[in-house]
Amino acid sequence: MKYEHFIIKYRWWFIIVPIIITVLAAIPLAKTKVNPDLEKYLPENTPAMLAKAKIDSLFGNSDPVILIFETTDVLNTETLTRLKNLSRAFHKANEFDGVISLYDTKSIKGAYGAMVVDPVIKRIPKTEIQREQLRKEIRQNELAYKLVVSEDFSKTVIILKVASGITDEQVVHTIKRTLHEFPGSETVYKGGTVYLRVQVNSDISRDMLILMPLGMLIMILFLLLSFREWKSVALPFLVVAMSIVISLGFFPLMGWELSIITILAPIMMIAIANNYGVHFIARYQELNAANPQWSMKEITKNVLYHLKKPVIITGLTTIAGILGLVVHILLPAKQLGIAASLGIAFALLLSISFIPAMMATMKKGKALKSLTQEKAGIIEKGLSRLAKLSTNRPIVILFVFGSFLLLAGAGIVHLQVDSNSENFLPSKHPFRQATSIVNEDFGGTKYLTVLFEGDMKDPKLLQRLDHYETELKKNPSVGSVMSIASILKIMSRAINDKGDEFYDKIPDTREAVAQYIELYSMSGEPEDFDDLVNFDYTQALLIVQFRADSKNALDNVIDEIDRLTVDDPNRSIIGGYCLVDKELAEAVVHGQYNSLLFAILIIALLLVLIFRSFVSGLLGSLPLLFTVITLFGTMGWLGIKLDIGTAMLSSIAIGIGVDYTIHFFWRYRYELGSGKSHEEAIATTLTTTGRGITINAFSVMLGFVILFVSSFLTIKYFAFLIIFSVLLCLLCALILIPALCLLIKPKFLEKKP
Amino acid sequence: MLFISTASWSQNAKEISTKALDVTDIDAMEMTSTLTIMDTKGHERIRKTSTASKKFGETTKIITKFTSPADVKGTGLLVYDYENKNDDMWIYLPAIRKVRRIISSEKGKSFMGSEFSNADMSKPNLDDYTYKILGTEEFNGILCWKIESAPMNDDLAYDNGFSKKIALIDKNSYFTYKVTYYDLNDELYKEMIISDYKEVCDGKYLARNMEMDNLQNGRKSILTIDKLQNGSNLSENNFTPAALEK
Repeated sequence: MKYEHFIIKYRWWFIIVPIIITVLAAIPLAKTKVNPDLEKYLPENTPAMLAKAKIDSLFGNSDPVILIFETTDVLNTETLTRLKNLSRAFHKANEFDGVISLYDTKSIKGAYGAMVVDPVIKRIPKTEIQREQLRKEIRQNELAYKLVVSEDFSKTVIILKVASGITDEQVVHTIKRTLHEFPGSETVYKGGTVYLRVQVNSDISRDMLILMPLGMLIMILFLLLSFREWKSVALPFLVVAMSIVISLGFFPLMGWELSIITILAPIMMIAIANNYGVHFIARYQELNAANPQWSMKEITKNVLYHLKKPVIITGLTTIAGILGLVVHILLPAKQLGIAASLGIAFALLLSISFIPAMMATMKKGKALKSLTQEKAGIIEKGLSRLAKLSTNRPIVILFVFGSFLLLAGAGIVHLQVDSNSENFLPSKHPFRQATSIVNEDFGGTKYLTVLFEGDMKDPKLLQRLDHYETELKKNPSVGSVMSIASILKIMSRAINDKGDEFYDKIPDTREAVAQYIELYSMSGEPEDFDDLVNFDYTQALLIVQFRADSKNALDNVIDEIDRLTVDDPNRSIIGGYCLVDKELAEAVVHGQYNSLLFAILIIALLLVLIFRSFVSGLLGSLPLLFTVITLFGTMGWLGIKLDIGTAMLSSIAIGIGVDYTIHFFWRYRYELGSGKSHEEAIATTLTTTGRGITINAFSVMLGFVILFVSSFLTIKYFAFLIIFSVLLCLLCALILIPALCLLIKPKFLEKKP
Repeated sequence: MLFISTASWSQNAKEISTKALDVTDIDAMEMTSTLTIMDTKGHERIRKTSTASKKFGETTKIITKFTSPADVKGTGLLVYDYENKNDDMWIYLPAIRKVRRIISSEKGKSFMGSEFSNADMSKPNLDDYTYKILGTEEFNGILCWKIESAPMNDDLAYDNGFSKKIALIDKNSYFTYKVTYYDLNDELYKEMIISDYKEVCDGKYLARNMEMDNLQNGRKSILTIDKLQNGSNLSENNFTPAALEK
């Protein structure tokens, strides 16, 4: 009992020092930064990131902002005037390198023996006849129709290419100011990853502000309901609050930024950090009811004596489970693993020092009636029934759990990976509306660019590009395909007359190609093709615009591009933001497997070491395996995809889930050691330690319920899945493990601790 | 009093600009020249051309043939530079043996993909601009007028691609040495240095070197006149679209 005396003797130190540490850790919190840039989730040297960086360095930022204007007919005078003013204003703004609108898109056509290159709209039509003439021209302009103006002329876009070194905030501010400067009656939707990032950013901040206090409030209410005394609520709550400060304070201290993943750190603290405190309080109440004559110090000593080992062990296994995230390929996942582990380690230390020190200074409360068996509470009644169930029908229980495992687990074959970052936002969100408009009316939000290197005036190469374009356009997901070859073909129609041998064809000599381009340079702007071909015509892009809201649809387009171009000697690399997304998806799955494997192995190893038995490792990992397989299977059945948020699940579920089994083992072994039969030991364990486990599990589940108000769909799924997996772990600990113990009667539990 | 003096200054500014144009206004000449277009990374595109220009009545007719690089060799360009209306332009593409017209109303457009605009290459319509003397300034030790000219209205500014330009014009010879362009946002945009003036015939001069720096995108173009001959033996028949094909 040395440790217990030590804590009680120096209790004020164990109260004051942690408080000082917490206050110190709170200081850097003011410098916390949020960075929702999804690309940050990947290391910089992955193939997709390298390809995107190379293409961006050659052809500029490939990540445009899209403004959609919707009205009955965009060719009305008011809308066209507004578009003209906006287009001019955006041209002037330093934030943008390029503007594509009806006033900038080129119309290349042949007229009266001339090739005429003009903006689609040169003059705003004054009469109905002029307007219809313009409409007719736009319908024939493949650079504008269905790309800049929707098929029914109800929508038009302004596409802005962001200059390098401009922040998202500057972009959003300039657009807002400019739209305000030139107001109009059109409905304006804003799309593009800049808006996705800004939206995610503001929503993360909002979620932080709302969810954290809410989660704590729910926790306090539930603990008060369960323990029915304020000090029993205050202690676990303080531990949660202090460990949140520690884990969050670690971010600015390390120079890390909060992201959509790391926002989960405080939520995890709310869910996990009260774990240890709850068991202390439950045990204190149990002892207080059984031994009314004991003083608070005696109770504290006894609680600490019995709980310090299981609490340390559960803390360590939780940390091990969460540290599984450190081997994750995504940086924020690693950060989350480290920061959350640190917070939990602090919570663990507080639980075996600060909590008993505080308890020793407090007055003893009244014994709970539900524990003195005068009037059993709901939890206590339920637990007694469960104890009877598992001792009476262990085979039935095994059969039920086994069937459920098979049935649910079969869903794993349907499990899909999703890394379309647009899906982070709810479907009614204005950003998602913009996305669906672009998908329906403007060829799609996804872009893939294929870089070709070589002599870009070589007719053979250009004819191949033309062939790829024709083939790709047959794919129903593909909205548009563009390259210098399509421009040359448009020129060939403007330069030559219908029926001419050169009409609608890539010219068949290098000279003719060069001369077409020369001709164009007399009529158009030199930068007109900057997005398609470089200055000295040695590198060119094939830009494929398409719609894909799932990884399968994306893979389909990528495969087709690959199949077409794989043997092309001039093909260099394929790039695009959606490839980064895809890589992210694959990283998620990969990270998932690694973290999972790592966590289960470490936990099994810890159990083997602690109980000095291989059976304990197997038996202890069983609830984890059961939970993980059932969880993924259920995701498969319900069509919930693995994404960045849900990917964090397994490690966390494992971290939480193993605690229940350990607490059960510990008490069960103690009860067996005090001479009880297996049946009696199970009944006692479930009504005592089982109460702590149940209160803890429910507080975790309720803590995660608050995530349902998050605006991120992925966080909502995450909440559902966490609750589901905690429930599974709870059922395993309270039903499956007791039934198994009764059947196997494992030796390691019969040994005296 | 003040009003009158401002008006007379303004008159002077336009006069100075007119004289600056007149001093380089040559009736007929033949020349070979090199246009070098450079991007920010130091890549170069070099075009060599031979040109003949001759005034027929009020219209200056200019015929240009590309001599290099090989893939555009033989490409011909014919321009009718009218005093008071948009230019007529034709191009001959030898690879497909066709003459095509080029219709372009926007003077601000690039000249052959260079940083020079079409407006820089032809004689401006003086009435499209307002002129102002900003004062005097020395350029390489030569005292110059500092003349600002700005397009009359927004549409003209948009067509020309600049909001104003400031020229340094030699007080004695009326040679223009430097022109600074400001974009529609009134920010510094391009800078043209004109040098190496040589007399072509009595009282008429031509600069052998023009250098245009785009200060915003970092690109640069240089036009050098390699050979120059006063007068041309070509007849008006040589300045027709049909003649381009020869």
